Amino acid sequence: MTRTARGCGTLDRREFLRRFIVGGIGVTVLPFPSVRADTFGLPSSSPDARNGPPHRRVDGYPKVTGAKLYSADFRAADMPGWPSRTSHAMLVRARDVSQAFAGIDLSGLEPSLRPDRTVLAVDLAAARLRVPSFYAGDLLCPVGQAPAYLGQPLALLIWNDFAAFAEARQALRGAANPVRHGAIAGPQPRTPYGGMRYVRVAGPTPDSADIYSPVLDGWTVPERYQPLPPQQLSGPAAPRFAAEWDPPNPSGSPAARASYYGQQVRELLDNPNPDLLVIEQTFHTPSNDPVFLEPETGLAWHDSSRRTLELVLGTQSPDDSASSIGELVGETSGDLRVENVVAHCTSIGGGFGGRDHSIFPLYVALAALFAANTPVRLANDRFEQFQSGLKRHAFEIRSKLGIDRKTGRLVAYAADLTGEGGGLANYSASVGLVAAAAAIGIYNIPKVDVSSVVLASTAVPAGSMRGYGTLQSMTPLEVMIDRAAEALGRDPIAFREANALASGQRNLTGNIPGGAVRTQEVLDKLARHRLWTQRSADKKRHSALYPEKAYGVGVACVNKDYGGGADAALAKVEMTPEGRILVTSSAVEIGTGLSTAIAVRTTEHLGACADRVTMGALSEWKPLRLETSGNPYTIGQAEQDAAASNPRWVPRLNVSTYASIGAHVDTHVVAEAARIVYRFGVWPAAIAIWGKGVMGGQAAGEFLRPEGARFVGDALTAAGMEPLPLARLAEKAHEMGLVTTAMVHGFNRWNWAAAAFEILGARWEAPIDALAVQYGRGAASERRALLDSSGFHLLDRISVDFPNTRFQRFGTNYVAACGSIAVVEIERSTGVVKIVEAYSVLECGRAILPEAVSGQAQGGFAQGVGFAMTEFLPLFEGGPGSGDWNLDRYHVPRASDLPLWNLEVEILPPLGPTDVPKGIAEVVMIPIGPALLNAIYDATSHRFTSVPVTASAIKEVLG
Amino acid sequence: MKAVRISLTINSAVTGPHQVPETLPMIDYLHEYCGLTGTRFGCGIGACRACVIIVDHDDGTSAAVPTCFAAASDFNGKKVRTIEGHAVGGRLTSLQEAFLDHFSFQCGYCTPGFVNEAQVLLESLAREPVPRAEVDARILTAMDGHICRCTGYVRYYEAIRAVILADPRLTR
Repeated sequence: MTRTARGCGTLDRREFLRRFIVGGIGVTVLPFPSVRADTFGLPSSSPDARNGPPHRRVDGYPKVTGAKLYSADFRAADMPGWPSRTSHAMLVRARDVSQAFAGIDLSGLEPSLRPDRTVLAVDLAAARLRVPSFYAGDLLCPVGQAPAYLGQPLALLIWNDFAAFAEARQALRGAANPVRHGAIAGPQPRTPYGGMRYVRVAGPTPDSADIYSPVLDGWTVPERYQPLPPQQLSGPAAPRFAAEWDPPNPSGSPAARASYYGQQVRELLDNPNPDLLVIEQTFHTPSNDPVFLEPETGLAWHDSSRRTLELVLGTQSPDDSASSIGELVGETSGDLRVENVVAHCTSIGGGFGGRDHSIFPLYVALAALFAANTPVRLANDRFEQFQSGLKRHAFEIRSKLGIDRKTGRLVAYAADLTGEGGGLANYSASVGLVAAAAAIGIYNIPKVDVSSVVLASTAVPAGSMRGYGTLQSMTPLEVMIDRAAEALGRDPIAFREANALASGQRNLTGNIPGGAVRTQEVLDKLARHRLWTQRSADKKRHSALYPEKAYGVGVACVNKDYGGGADAALAKVEMTPEGRILVTSSAVEIGTGLSTAIAVRTTEHLGACADRVTMGALSEWKPLRLETSGNPYTIGQAEQDAAASNPRWVPRLNVSTYASIGAHVDTHVVAEAARIVYRFGVWPAAIAIWGKGVMGGQAAGEFLRPEGARFVGDALTAAGMEPLPLARLAEKAHEMGLVTTAMVHGFNRWNWAAAAFEILGARWEAPIDALAVQYGRGAASERRALLDSSGFHLLDRISVDFPNTRFQRFGTNYVAACGSIAVVEIERSTGVVKIVEAYSVLECGRAILPEAVSGQAQGGFAQGVGFAMTEFLPLFEGGPGSGDWNLDRYHVPRASDLPLWNLEVEILPPLGPTDVPKGIAEVVMIPIGPALLNAIYDATSHRFTSVPVTASAIKEVLG
Repeated sequence: MKAVRISLTINSAVTGPHQVPETLPMIDYLHEYCGLTGTRFGCGIGACRACVIIVDHDDGTSAAVPTCFAAASDFNGKKVRTIEGHAVGGRLTSLQEAFLDHFSFQCGYCTPGFVNEAQVLLESLAREPVPRAEVDARILTAMDGHICRCTGYVRYYEAIRAVILADPRLTR
C-alpha cells in the first residue's frame, strides 16, 4: 500500500544522517538576524508585564511601525556581507495550455528594457538541477511541449536595472507578451494524485469490537483508476477517473473486506427499508485562493566564490524549502556550483496553508543561480500570485445519509469525494484522505463508507489551505443534517445532540479521540443562545417590519482535527544569570500569534513570559545531533523499534507550521524545556537558598516538593518559604552550575513520544525524545567536561517510547469543536444577503492567549463568509491561470460584508487547570459556511448545494 | 523609457531629487529609491489599500492615497507621511498603541495601511467631530476599503472606535 501523507515530501528518500546535509550540501536555515525580524521581545513598559498574560503581542511593535519583517521588505543592501545592488527577476508563465510553448520573443520590448538574462528549461538541464520529488515536474516548461498546467513558468527573466525591470514588467503583461505558441496540444489525462477509502462497520453494541474499521484493518487505496468517458465538465471537480477497488470478499484481504463491507453500507442506503430515511445530495465547493496579503517574494544571492547560495524566504515550511533547494542545486558545477545553502526565514504576511510546501522558493533559488553573482529579488505581484499560488481544492461531494425514522439516529453514511488538484501533486493525496476522514464531522455513525479521489489536471496547483479538505467535506454534511432534521420534524440542534459522538466512542476510522469530546457542550451553548431560542419570534417580528426582506437563522457544528499525525518540534529555553528568559522555536510566526503564545508558555514553569522569542530557527539544533530515517507515516513497528535504539534517532526532524499545531505542538516543547530548567535549575537553586544556614535554614520545617512550589508575582514560594524572585534564583542557578538552558525535540504521532533521561543524577521522564542542556557558569570542572564542542551536554535517552506505529491508522486523534449560528436578512428584489448577527462558540482546551483565540475565530468567521458567499475561481479557461485575476474579481469579505459589531465569539473554559491547549485555527472557519446555507434555507426555503451562494442565485429562487 | 526628476517631502524630510521612470509606481519609489518598505504591496490595482500613504494638502486636510498604481511623479512636490513617520523617537501614536492593546492585527502586513487611513480619519474628526451615535458608521465609511485577510476586522475597528471615543475632541 502506498500513501502520501501530509507533510512528507519525499517518501522514499533516505534521511539517515540527514542533519541538514542534503546531497553533500550543508543546509543552514537561520532565523532572521535578531536586529530585524524574527526575534521579538516583550515591551518593558510594565513591571508586571512578564508575570501576567502579555498585554500585547511580542511581534506587535515592529508590525505597527512598518519595520522590515517580511521577505518582501528586504533588499541586498539590508543583508550583511552581500553586494549592495539588487537585480530583479520575473517568471513568464503559461496563460494557455492548449498549445505547445515555442519560445520567448522579446522583440516587443524596447532594447533598453530587455532583460539581461533569459533562462529556459534547457538552461536548467544544462545546470543539472534536480527537482525534488515532492515538486516533480518541469520547473520551466521545455520549448516544444505544451505547458503542464495554467500558470506553469515558461521562462525566468532577470534585469540588473530596476527601472528597466519595472517598465518591462508592465509591457510584458500587455502588448509585449513574449510567449510564442506552437502546435495545438491535445488533452493529456493524468492519473489521479491519490485516493482513499474509509469503511467502518460498528459491532452490534457500543462496546463490541468493530466488524471492520481502518484502525483495525488498515487503510484502503484504489486498485487502479479507470478513466471515465469524455464528458462536459459540469462543475468543479467533476469526476474524470473512477477509482476501482478490490473485488469485495468478506474473507479476503483487508482491501477486499473493505469493499465487501462498504458495498453493504451502500446497499443499505440504495435500497432502504421504509424505516430508513435516506437523504441524498451532490454538493460542489469551488477553487479558492488564500489571498494572504503579502504576495510570495524572495531574495537570494549565489556567491560563486564561496559556493554559497543565501536566501531570504517567507515560508511556512523553512525546513522543506531549504532542504528542497539543497536537493535542487546538489549537482551543480562550475560557476553554478553550490556547496552551502543558507536560508533566512522571515515572518510572513499571512499563509493559511498556501505557503506550506510552496514551489516558489525553488524559483528564488533559480533566479540567484542565473543572476551571475548578483543578489536578485523575485516577487509575485497579485496577478502572478493568483496565477501561481497554491489553491484550495475544488470538490464534488456525492453523499447519502441514512437515518432511522423512529429513533432519529444516524445509521449509515456513504460519500464519494472528488477533488481537483491542478497541475502539481503537492499535498493533494493527503488533502483527499483528510477530507474523507472528516466526512462525518461530529457524529456517531455506525456504518460508513467514504471514498476520495483527487484528480490531476491543467488547473493552477492546489495544496494546503485552511481546512485542508475538511471544510469541503463537512459543509455538505451539515446541510444534510439540517435536511434530515426537517424531514423528521426534529429540532436541528436536538437532532445533532442525539447523534453527536461522545467521549470514549469511536470515530470514522474506528479510533477513540484523545481526551474529552466536548461537542455536547458546544451544542448546548448553541441551543441556549438567544439567537436560537428567539428565532421564531425574531423572524415573525422582522417579517412584519420588513416584508421586502426574507429572514433566516441557521446553525452548524463541526469538529476539526489538529495535528498531522507525525509532528515534530524543537525548542530551546535559556535562563540568563539575570533571570531573563530567551526562547528559540522551530516554528514560524505566520500571524496567528504563536510567537506570543510561545512567550507565555514559560510562565507556568518559570513564572514569567519569555523576554525574547526567536522563531523559524532551524540551525540552532545541532547540539541534539538528531538523526532520522524512514517515513513516520508508514514505518513498521520492528523498524521503529530497531531505529529507536539509536539515542539520536527520532521519527521525524521537524514539520511546517501548519495543521493548527502551533498551540498544541510548538508550545508543548517550549513548556517541556522550561519545565526542565525549573526542575534542574530554579528548584535546586531555591532549595539551596531556603536551606542556607544553621540546621537547614528556613527550609527545615516543611517538606518541600518541586511540584508544590508556585510563582506568585515574579517570586517562587513553597510551603510558606521566603518568596524568591526569578532573577535571584537564576543567579544562584548559574553560580551553582545547575541546568540553565534546555534544548528539546518532541514528536507526536497522535500521542507524544516520551523518554527518560538522567539529569543531575535524577531520572526525568517527559514527553520529549531528545534533550541537551547547558549548565550555569559556576559549573564545576567535572560538569563542564560533559559539554561538547557545541557548548551543550547531550543526554542519551535511558529509554524511549515512541507512539506505536498502529497509531498511523488513526487518521486523527485530536479534535476541537466549533459551532455557529448565523442570522441573515435577504433583500428579495436583489438576493443580496446581509449577515445581521452571528455567534460562534468553540472549545480550545486551555487558551494560552485568549485574544489570539478570539482573533482566530473572528478571522475564521470572515473566511467562512468568503467561502460560502463571495469567493470563486474558475478552474480552467477564464480562471486565474490566465494571469488576469486580482482582488477586483476575487471578492474576499470586507468589513461591510460582516456583522462587525454583532459577532459574538465564546470560548468555553477548560475542563480543568491542566488542560492542554488545542489547535483551533482551522475549525473556527468551518461551521460558518453551512450555518449561512442553513440560514438561507430558513429564509428562502431553498437548499443550495454549491458555494458560493450568490445574490443572483438567491434572487432566482426567490422569484 | 522616459524619466522624470522628482522630489518630495516624506515624513518631514525632503527626499531626492531622483531620476525615475515616468510611470514608476509610487510604492516602488518608496521601496527602491527611499528604502521605505513599510508601505506594503497588496494588489497593484488599488483594491486592497494596504499601500496607502497620507498626503498632506496645503489647506490642512489630508487624504490616504494608494501608491501601488499611482506614479511617483504624481507625488512630486507633495508632502506625504508613511508608516515609518508615525512613531517619533520610538513613541507610538495613540492609534498605534490602541492597535497593540486590542491585538488588532495578526500577520500585520495590512497594518500600515490601516494606521494611515485611520490616522486620516482621526485628523478629519478633529476638524469636524461627529455625533457619538455615528462613530461606527463613520469608521466603516473610512476603513471599509481596506482588506484584511487574517482578522475579520473586528479588533481593528474596536481599536479605532476606542481611540475616537476616548478623545472628546473627535465627537459631539
